[in-house]
Amino acid sequence: MTARLCFSSLTSLPNPPSISSSSSSTRVHPNSISFKLPSRFRYRNADRRRSYQIAATLTVDSQTSGEKTLDTDRPRVLLEVKDLTAIVAESRQEILRGVNLTINEGEVHAIMGKNGSGKSTFSKVLVGHPDYEVTGGTVSFKGEDLLNMEPETRSHAGLFMSFQTPVEIPGVSNMDFLLMACNARREKRGEPTLSPIEFFGFLSPKLAAVNMNPRFLDRNVNEGFSGGEKKRNEILQLAVLEAELAILDEIDSGLDVDALQDVAKAVNGLLTPRNSILMITHYQRLLDYIKPNYVHIMEAGAIVRTGDFSLAKQLEKEGYRAISSA
Amino acid sequence: MAYCCYSNFSSTLAPLRLRPPPRRKSIAAANPASVSLSDPFVLDIADKLEDSVSTSSSSSFSLLQKLRDSSSQSLLSQRWPSPKDELYRFTDTSFLKSSQILPASPPSIISPSLSSPASNIITLVDGHVVPALSRIPSLPAGAFAGSAADIPPGALYEHLMAAAGELFHNEDLFWNLNGFGAPDLAVVYIPDGERMIDEPLHLRFCAVDAAEAGSGRLPLSNPRVLVVVGKQAELAIVEEHLGVESGEGNSYWSNSVVEIVVEEGGKVSHSYVQKQSVNAAHIKWTLVRQEKRSSYELVEISTGGKLSRHNLHVQQLGPDTTTELSAFHVAQGDQIQDLHSKLVLDHPRGYSRQLHKCIVSHSTGHVVFDGNIKVNRFAQQTDAGQLTRTLLLAPRATANVKPNLQIIADDVKCSHGAAISDLEEEQLFYFQARGIDMKTARDALVFSFGSEILARIPFESYRKSISNQVKELLTTS
Ligand SMILES: Nc1ncnc2c1ncn2[C@@H]1O[C@H](COP(=O)(O)OP(=O)(O)OP(=O)(O)O)[C@@H](O)[C@H]1O
Ligand SMILES: [Mg+2]
Repeated sequence: MTARLCFSSLTSLPNPPSISSSSSSTRVHPNSISFKLPSRFRYRNADRRRSYQIAATLTVDSQTSGEKTLDTDRPRVLLEVKDLTAIVAESRQEILRGVNLTINEGEVHAIMGKNGSGKSTFSKVLVGHPDYEVTGGTVSFKGEDLLNMEPETRSHAGLFMSFQTPVEIPGVSNMDFLLMACNARREKRGEPTLSPIEFFGFLSPKLAAVNMNPRFLDRNVNEGFSGGEKKRNEILQLAVLEAELAILDEIDSGLDVDALQDVAKAVNGLLTPRNSILMITHYQRLLDYIKPNYVHIMEAGAIVRTGDFSLAKQLEKEGYRAISSA
Repeated sequence: MAYCCYSNFSSTLAPLRLRPPPRRKSIAAANPASVSLSDPFVLDIADKLEDSVSTSSSSSFSLLQKLRDSSSQSLLSQRWPSPKDELYRFTDTSFLKSSQILPASPPSIISPSLSSPASNIITLVDGHVVPALSRIPSLPAGAFAGSAADIPPGALYEHLMAAAGELFHNEDLFWNLNGFGAPDLAVVYIPDGERMIDEPLHLRFCAVDAAEAGSGRLPLSNPRVLVVVGKQAELAIVEEHLGVESGEGNSYWSNSVVEIVVEEGGKVSHSYVQKQSVNAAHIKWTLVRQEKRSSYELVEISTGGKLSRHNLHVQQLGPDTTTELSAFHVAQGDQIQDLHSKLVLDHPRGYSRQLHKCIVSHSTGHVVFDGNIKVNRFAQQTDAGQLTRTLLLAPRATANVKPNLQIIADDVKCSHGAAISDLEEEQLFYFQARGIDMKTARDALVFSFGSEILARIPFESYRKSISNQVKELLTTS
């Protein structure tokens, strides 16, 4: 966006005589304005897919099952990531270098890995963050090409990511934000939108589930929230949106022991045989509360090891050195 | 260029105890030498104004006459601003200069569309106080609100007459055009210790005489209001400027002046809403004199007008004085929104905060902010803060911002800052990630930018209706 900015020179207004006579001691503090217009909000995909059909994917399994009716018991693939590579859009620096991951319905996965290994980048690429550009590979979500969808369409499709550092939005109340999100989703599904009062009824048990004081609804989104309060708020949003795949990026960081239990309890409460979770964490502690079926280790933009809960235990004991050399 | 509004203003005297200046002659009787120095365009407007006001009879000893006398003298030495004048460097007044300016004709039939649900209201129609549209049920004992012509003889009248010379004097063209052409003078007076804050006093400035946009004609009205709030007295004002017209987007020029005196320990809460027609010119003066320990709070929401200029001058005339100024301006297509503010702190332990926020949503929109804060030598232990934030939403949208803090005292706490930006990508993405489309997200963020100021409007019903109006404006654009 090119906006023309004209700043006046820093001369002060002419002074009344009585003041200018003492101007030798005047310290004029001119404005030191620094401004930067952010680059244009980028779309990776020019074509917008407005009508994403959720119902269409439900028939996928039965189509593939030729002879066995038993196949319907086999868990459905929710997310399938193949050889995903991505760069930072601005610097063209490659961050993801061929990620492979498959998540079925009802599964809990955890990704661990050193700082800077690309865990958050992976999550953000999945939800369509404009900072990154996908350069290769495929991602399908419930059988649909995820990379072709707008971020809001991915959300409507049932994908949710809780941000590692949720942004503050001054001037927009938490209540308004949640209601907007909830109604946007209902509209997409052809359901009637909720009035603020109906919504409050829908929200109350969810507030209780994350043990959050209702007065947080009147505050602006994340503004002045403590680290732990922000995380709770992310889980509240997850509860409102009832996503099928929740990517939780370091939901445990910054939480005290009680808050960790609250959040873990809330997440477990949301877990059904049809929902899946992808957790990113540095600590086994969270995995004690939310038991993963699989633990993956990410290193330099790729998943280098996959194991079960014991991998996390080994990591806790021996550190990354032992894992990556193995 | 003369720019010393306070140059002959002695800060140690209470404004209401000042000597009246010598009587001055009207323009017609002024000596020819000074006439030849004046700007022919200004003189032409003055001539027409003089014809229009002389038809409305007024006693030569009235307050209004004092206002006219005081203004006519100053008017002679003033010329139309040019882009070379620092004060009009970025504010193009050629819209006015190229129009055929005619004094607004006196209101005839009062249309029902002018009525308002406010409980305490004074309505000015093209500068005339209209008693039929004014009512003040909660006016405290001894208080006055109405046309100066209706002030009963007595202490208040004598006070105002004595102070008039000082009160009405200012070396500014638009100020003096107003004073010279004002058909009426509205006065609000709250005596010492009285309060009128539960229900605000709504000052409604209606522009009725208007010309079709593009006709080249521009009816000019000069509404004038003087507010005096006594010692320890409190007053809440909601000032609203609007065009009331049959056709959409008609042209007119409203050139108003509101002067507020807050005496020792007095408190004034002032909400100011400017929603003139998009083809109107709105030039407005707000001059505030604050005695010691007084407090003045202004919340300004300005969205109307093709050319809107607000000159806001506040002077702290005693110690322990508080001033809080907030403004939210929206410039859409072809609009100029200009705030020139000047705050002078002359005494110890003054406190001031200024927050200016504006949105330019079209390439042809233009915002100007020149905010001067002077912390003079005796203003020790002053706490002054100033912040301006601009949101530019379109390519080539223009903002000229000049926050500026001049400090002479040495024991002070002062801060200021300026920021210009587009919407935050990270915030937009947060909405999208929760399933909210880009347009809804943008609208919410654009509105939220101003909601910080809207939230400061002290009365819920006003806050709601003004917020809704702003929301509508920002959403449909
Ligand atoms: N928008 C960006 N611009 C520039 N560099 C980026 C950007 N996003 C990620 N990176 C870089 O990519 C690498 C991976 O970052 P990422 O945030 O994905 O790491 P992480 O695995 O989540 O680390 P942590 O455990 O510390 O949260 C880092 O070196 C980071 O600096
Ligand atoms: Mg991370």
